[in-house]
Amino acid sequence: MEIYPPPLERLIEQFSRLPGIGQKSATRLALFILKSHKELSQSLAASLIEVKEKIELCSTCFSLTDEDPCAICRNENRINGIICVVEGPGDQLAIEESGVFKGKYHVLHGVLAPLDGVGPEDLKIAELVARLDKENIEEVILATNPTAQGETTASFLVKILSGKGVKITRIALGIPMGGDLKYMDSMTLQYCLKTRSPVVP
Amino acid sequence: MENYTSRSIIMRTKEVGETDLLVTFLCPDKGRIKGIAKGARNSRKRFANCFDAFCLVDLQFSLKRSGDLYLLNSGRLINAFPGIRLDFTSLSYASYMIELTEILFPWGMGDRKIFELLRESLDALSRGERAEAIAVLFEVRAMTLGGYGINLERCCNCGRIYKGEGKAVFKRDRGGVACLKCQEETAVTPGISPQVVKMIQWMQTIPFRSLMKLELADKHIQEIRPVLKLHREYHLPKGPKTVCYLT
Ligand SMILES: [Zn+2]
Ligand SMILES: [Zn+2]
Repeated sequence: MEIYPPPLERLIEQFSRLPGIGQKSATRLALFILKSHKELSQSLAASLIEVKEKIELCSTCFSLTDEDPCAICRNENRINGIICVVEGPGDQLAIEESGVFKGKYHVLHGVLAPLDGVGPEDLKIAELVARLDKENIEEVILATNPTAQGETTASFLVKILSGKGVKITRIALGIPMGGDLKYMDSMTLQYCLKTRSPVVP
Repeated sequence: MENYTSRSIIMRTKEVGETDLLVTFLCPDKGRIKGIAKGARNSRKRFANCFDAFCLVDLQFSLKRSGDLYLLNSGRLINAFPGIRLDFTSLSYASYMIELTEILFPWGMGDRKIFELLRESLDALSRGERAEAIAVLFEVRAMTLGGYGINLERCCNCGRIYKGEGKAVFKRDRGGVACLKCQEETAVTPGISPQVVKMIQWMQTIPFRSLMKLELADKHIQEIRPVLKLHREYHLPKGPKTVCYLT
């Protein structure tokens, strides 16, 4: 049953189509928009249109950008020859925010997921291979998530990239900072023990 | 609110809200059901990494007052079948088995046997057994459990009991075999050797643990696969879609 006037119902419906927004949050957002100044709605609408018109994928690393190549690919202070491969723009952002990685990226735009109809051709894998020679790549860091699909994607990339004369590394998996061994799953613990590293005093 | 605890196989997960996860899982008693794990994406304590596809887990859940969406309260990882993640082939076969289960067993249809079959098959895949063979064993048995067993006892036309003398001919519209007197071999009515007829009979009936140990030679797999394809496409015209990733 619709309790609000149709235009408001439509806005609620539009909001609730967004990921992470349920009916309640959608209603709260819509009522907020309704209460606030008209300028907010106008700038919001303009921004929505603007991202769709101006944001594209970098033709080198496939991250989101408003200028091709993207700021990272253009940046001369970034280290050439090291590529960090991530699933999506969100993962790239997380690594960027950590501030430790100074090389360049490659965004796959997904992971191998047969159940969702995603195979190797649906990811930016061929484009990654093409970069190896073109950019004189020495190391590829595989930073896909440690999920079944992320791990399989990493294994797949290892097969594709090995024998091409690049060093292939995988980000470390294990106990998170502030974690508690008691709450770790058995698989993570097994992996942690297997990949333990010597401590230098 | 009634509470349940069940060993389960995670079939699919989907991110919802900011930290929630919608999880489709298979239980021996309740069949394939859906549950919401509140805060699963940032709570390691309650759900210690147990919501990854294909994982065998112990789940605690309860049913909300209305509807058929369960509320997942906690979980513990039993086996993540790590071998499945080692290559795209294993992942594709595991996905295929999950999808075939989804097609054959509707929501909420409990069946202890399909649960055990899926668990044993994922385990065999993870141990590095040949994926093509595991998939054949799984498919023959899953189709049987789903009500599409192949009738290999007698000729579906003249009723003569098949005694293993000479080839039998598979007839998809009858879901069984005919004798060579009643039906000749063609592309859509392929012949099956007596040895393979016997094997399919075993696959349809023997205990799961023995099933996974059944050794299929390449030539047997080559002989069975076209039969399974015809049989599957006749009864399940819409899928599974993951078949396109199988080698
Ligand atoms: Zn770029
Ligand atoms: Zn006959």
